[in-house]
Amino acid sequence: MVARRRKRAAQESDSGVPILPGYSAIPIKFSEKQQSSHYLYVREHKVREGTRSSWPQKRTLFVLNVPPYCTEECLSRLLSPCGPVQSVELQEKPELAESPKEPPSKFFHPKPVPGFQVAYVLFQKPGSVSAALALKGPLLVSTESHPVRSGVLKWIRDYTDSVPDPEALRVEVDAFMETYDRKIAEEEAKAKEEEGIPDDEGWVKVTRRGRRPVLPRTEAASLRVLERERRKRARKELLNFYAWQHRETKMEHLAQLRKKFEEDKQRIELMRAQRKFRPY
Amino acid sequence: MESALEGTGKEGKKESLKKRKIAVSPGEGLLQPVKLSRAELYKEPTNEELSRLRETESLFHSSLLRLQVEELLKEVRLSEKKKERIDAFLREVNQRIMKVPSTPETELTNQAWLPDGVQVPIHQVPYTVKGRFHFLPPAQVTVVGSYLLGTCIRPDINVDVALTIPREILQDKDGLNQRYFRKRALYLAHLAHHLAKDPLFGSVRFSYTNGCHLKPSLLLRPHGKDEHLVTIRLHPCPPPNFFRPCRLLPSKSNVRSAWYRGQSPSGDGSPEPPTPHYNTWLLQDTALESHVQLLSAVLGSASGLKDGVALLKVWLRQRELDKGLGGFSGFLVSMVVAFLVSTRKIHTTMSGYQVLRSTLQFLASTDLTVNGVSLCFSSDPSLPALADFHQAFPVVFLDSSGRLNLCADVTASTYHQVQHEARLSMALLDSKADDGFQLLLMTPKPMIRAFDHIVHLRPLSRLQAACHRLKLWPELQDLGGDYVSAALGPLTTLLEQGLGSRLQLLAHSRPPASEWDINQEPPKHRDPGVLTLGLLLRPEGLTSVLELGPEADQPEAANFRQFWGSRSELRRFQDGAIREAVVWEAASMAQKRLIPHQVVTHLLALHADIPDTCVHYTGGLLDALIQGLKETSSTGEEALAAAVRCYDDLSRLLWGLDGLPLTVSAVQGAHPVLRYTEVFPPAPVRPAHSFHEQLRERASLLPRPDKPCPAYVEPMTVVCHLEGSGQWPQDAEAIRRVRAAFQLRLAELLTQQHGLPCRATATHTDVLKDGFVFRIRVAYHREPQILKETRSPEGMVSLRDTPASLRFERDTRQLPLLTSALHGLQQQHPAFSAVARLAKRWVRAQLLGGEVTDESLDLVAAALFLHPEPFTPPSSPQVGFLRFLFLMSTFDWKNNPLIVNLNNELTAEEQVEIRSVFLATRAKLPVMVIVTPQDRKSSVWTQDGPSPQILHQLVVLAAEALPVLEKQLMDPRGPGDIRTVFRPPLDMYDVLIRLAPRHIPRHRQAVDSPAASFCRGLLAEPGPSSLMPVLGYDPPQLYLAQLREAFGHLALFFYDQHGGEVIGVLWKPTSFQPQPFKASNTKGRMVVSQGGEPVMVPNVEAILEDFAILGEGLVQAVEARSERWTV
Repeated sequence: MVARRRKRAAQESDSGVPILPGYSAIPIKFSEKQQSSHYLYVREHKVREGTRSSWPQKRTLFVLNVPPYCTEECLSRLLSPCGPVQSVELQEKPELAESPKEPPSKFFHPKPVPGFQVAYVLFQKPGSVSAALALKGPLLVSTESHPVRSGVLKWIRDYTDSVPDPEALRVEVDAFMETYDRKIAEEEAKAKEEEGIPDDEGWVKVTRRGRRPVLPRTEAASLRVLERERRKRARKELLNFYAWQHRETKMEHLAQLRKKFEEDKQRIELMRAQRKFRPY
Repeated sequence: MESALEGTGKEGKKESLKKRKIAVSPGEGLLQPVKLSRAELYKEPTNEELSRLRETESLFHSSLLRLQVEELLKEVRLSEKKKERIDAFLREVNQRIMKVPSTPETELTNQAWLPDGVQVPIHQVPYTVKGRFHFLPPAQVTVVGSYLLGTCIRPDINVDVALTIPREILQDKDGLNQRYFRKRALYLAHLAHHLAKDPLFGSVRFSYTNGCHLKPSLLLRPHGKDEHLVTIRLHPCPPPNFFRPCRLLPSKSNVRSAWYRGQSPSGDGSPEPPTPHYNTWLLQDTALESHVQLLSAVLGSASGLKDGVALLKVWLRQRELDKGLGGFSGFLVSMVVAFLVSTRKIHTTMSGYQVLRSTLQFLASTDLTVNGVSLCFSSDPSLPALADFHQAFPVVFLDSSGRLNLCADVTASTYHQVQHEARLSMALLDSKADDGFQLLLMTPKPMIRAFDHIVHLRPLSRLQAACHRLKLWPELQDLGGDYVSAALGPLTTLLEQGLGSRLQLLAHSRPPASEWDINQEPPKHRDPGVLTLGLLLRPEGLTSVLELGPEADQPEAANFRQFWGSRSELRRFQDGAIREAVVWEAASMAQKRLIPHQVVTHLLALHADIPDTCVHYTGGLLDALIQGLKETSSTGEEALAAAVRCYDDLSRLLWGLDGLPLTVSAVQGAHPVLRYTEVFPPAPVRPAHSFHEQLRERASLLPRPDKPCPAYVEPMTVVCHLEGSGQWPQDAEAIRRVRAAFQLRLAELLTQQHGLPCRATATHTDVLKDGFVFRIRVAYHREPQILKETRSPEGMVSLRDTPASLRFERDTRQLPLLTSALHGLQQQHPAFSAVARLAKRWVRAQLLGGEVTDESLDLVAAALFLHPEPFTPPSSPQVGFLRFLFLMSTFDWKNNPLIVNLNNELTAEEQVEIRSVFLATRAKLPVMVIVTPQDRKSSVWTQDGPSPQILHQLVVLAAEALPVLEKQLMDPRGPGDIRTVFRPPLDMYDVLIRLAPRHIPRHRQAVDSPAASFCRGLLAEPGPSSLMPVLGYDPPQLYLAQLREAFGHLALFFYDQHGGEVIGVLWKPTSFQPQPFKASNTKGRMVVSQGGEPVMVPNVEAILEDFAILGEGLVQAVEARSERWTV
């Protein structure tokens, strides 16, 4: 292992630290004790012209390969020497689409187990981004002043956190249902208002709530109708009534047998190839 | 033959060549759906084609079966080329035999003329016998037996040659007192001495003809590369009409007790005991030629009959029925076919398959132990009656002379075994199963895999004492002192009577046909070393611990007392009757399964003087692996039943709950415990408060950092369906909120009305009842449908599966259905639970438990019970586990779905349909496909694994474990370390992560259970606890989840959740290829330059340190073992 490390070191000294176009690498370690480090790959957050992004350009730092034990607070602390940090968001994948605005409920969307993540770090000042790009590191996730828990201690804390508070859950559910009920009531009131009233082009909207409910427009329902039709037709037809029908049935039977025979032959070939006929 | 369907001419030939290429070329051996053009399918049929189709329909079951039979026959038949070589060799042998020089006449007891290098191949006890012997070349050399008939099958081709001993050598009374047999042996010895010098032969050895110790035969094998081509067996036989047939009737005696026992005749005039077996052996030698004539007359021109006999021989051999003394040999079965032809049950135009079927039908339905049959149709009054034979022999089947019982050596047990097998095979043929051929003719049925329990008796010399105890002197005299055969019949009858309703079938091993060099002493009766009995148990009889005898005042009571000896006692029963009875000590199911052990040892010691040190019982050796920590007498069935009872109580409470806005429409279990397949059943938990942190306001206990990890408690999932109602919202998010409200309400009501401690979350409610923790999940039956709904732009609502809906459907519909079906299966087959748990224990012990779902393993175990063919459903964990290994190692997962027909819901047509759908959609399905009536297409339980590599690994491990374990279990000296096959190979892993036992809560469940472990905070006595214990807290599992999430793209992690102390890590070779930089695959990698280009490689050193960081406290050491990860 030592030899290999030396080799790798030599390789790097030849060409310097491998340069990635557009990114700079910052070594990051869990604590002083570790020998080798992971690398954060950072660059300024940029999007193509015309694409919307929830993170303001110029002030946002895009970070790749954030180790699993590194939390938002941690990252914010590590990058604060470059300038005050406004917010940090960790995500599983680099996501250009907007993230949901309101924070997800902790009861209904439990935090997933973290792996390697990407981060968007929003600084207060644009200058901080370039300062961050120039960081040399290595950054330390867990220090004596700010220890980060891992292993057994972390699991015990997670377990403690996961014991739910029923009251808080009830409050949240009630609040959600109230909003939901209100929304549904509004929609229904609106539908009732519109019922029977022709729109601009004279069309009247018919719903299943009206006085004469109609068939719901689902795939299953339309399949059911088709099936009923088919059965009705089949009942009327006579089997093998004409000579040609008789002939065709026979031919069909023969074709089935032939197909089966081909299948069987193939099966036998395969078994022979696998030497499946050696009984012992 | 193949071109018949493909039309004639060049075109057809080309076609077939092309097709063969296609069929063979996919190297991985995958069946492709057949594509035939319209023109090919609908062309005019030729006459040939039509006739072949008609023949297939009438003579065979299906075209597949016909092809399979033809292939098999091709495989076992002797090729013409080899036949020529054998014929040439035979001619040579004939010449050499005729050239053997003759010797001067001497007394039989004077054997000094025999040269040094050869021993007489017979035990001469007593040695003194009258008569004179000299050697003359045989009067006639004739080939007899199956080689001549063309029904001999590979791989061991034997040619039987009869040598007629010249009349001058024999004297008048040679039938008496083994004189003929002594001469016969000397004749062979002299022959052997001269032939052994000949360079033509590769080996010249002796063997016993069909295992009979009085009748040696000489085996000749060619020299050089042909050594394994053929074995020529020389059987000396008397000249025709030498013995008078009336002297050899079963009631006649030809061995004088005065001579045999060396006493002067007892003057009381008691008649000499008849020697039926001895007489039969003499008769057999005289009838060699007439039998071969009869068979060639019957089989001669009919190829179908020959095919049938060959198939029957394969059938017998797969069941190990044809070998040894008293085996149901190929010759016997040919005679059965001849008998059926003569009674017109078989016609000469029948196909091989039909002959097989008719013969099996005959064997299954005719009990030759009661109603013997005869090939002799003459009504000569001088011939003995069938009844005479029934008195002398257990099984009766007379040859065409009417004097020779062909089944003389066959024991009743052997015949019953043949019958049992024939019945099973008939049922299989009638069921029209698709793979009938495979199961019938290609699957071996070794004793250890076919029988529930195995008993080894050793040393065999003990049986000599048994013979004395059972007073079997006449039999010994008859059998030439073969005490093993003499004791066999009485012993099996004794055990059959004693095991009574517990027993379905008792079979015994037959001494194997041994071979020895001509300069060695012939093997003794005790030389096979061991007599093995196989017990096939009847599960319904196993549950009773009582052997009920007759009422005390009845005459049968004395017999009962005599039979059971000191174990029989008088008991008063609830109905007032006072009866003799035997009561066995057995508290648990595991012990009840082993009552036959007690019966066997007791009866053998009592009646046959065989002490229990000579009885080696193999029945419950694997039980230790699924036994809980404290109990050693139970394999957990009782604990599982207790948990299920508690669940039943809970479900009653749920049904009767007042105050829920909607009523409960169904309560269903969805946890392995509730289908009896959890490896280690839960025990009621009584946590010690001092051991835990307490969270009073939420009534919960928490783990403490300064203590070892508390005991692992896994909540048992119960799905509680609520009725449908217009009140349910029609929006997925809203439904989740309503369900959460129900969870809260459920917890409240259960606490209020029944005082049960509860804890509700958004998705479930945990309930503590009698020490068991249940996790109740409220479900709404329309929820999966709502999750599926998508709306097209035109407003058409269609249902499309989404990951969320599939998961929901699996958890709330399919899992409860599976659980209840397997619960039902356990009621039918009491051994199911133990078998499924052993299987799961093994897979997990191989560190593969994380890759294969529980449910799929349960279903594989269920398949052993629902589709046991060609076996019967297992009644002991041991045999079930062996068959699990056999199934895993031999099933062709690529080309077949494993159909598990729960509750027998699938018809034969539906199964055919399932198979064809399977073939058509093979590419889209997972590698392992398990079909149940509830899940006909998608194989839900194997969707997420195993991967092809893992399945392959599992198959390899099973194939390695099976022979090792079978050898251990069949070893009469005791199995050695039974846990060998449960220890995983660790040398294949790249990195091993050693874990600290302090934080492994299930440490004591390990395969090699540690003598001591840490305290897990449990009380022996129930405390007044109303606090919820720590649930589902298992640090190794939490650690694994983190590892898989962070490094799952780089490595695979393997761990035994039952107390494993090590995690095996296997790097994925593909992810170690240097890759170009992409924002999405930077995880855990670093940039290095390769040829000036920046590429990404895994940052292995940092990752190894991460392993230690993520598992701080749990991880003891990280060992990087291989250098393979260098990049």
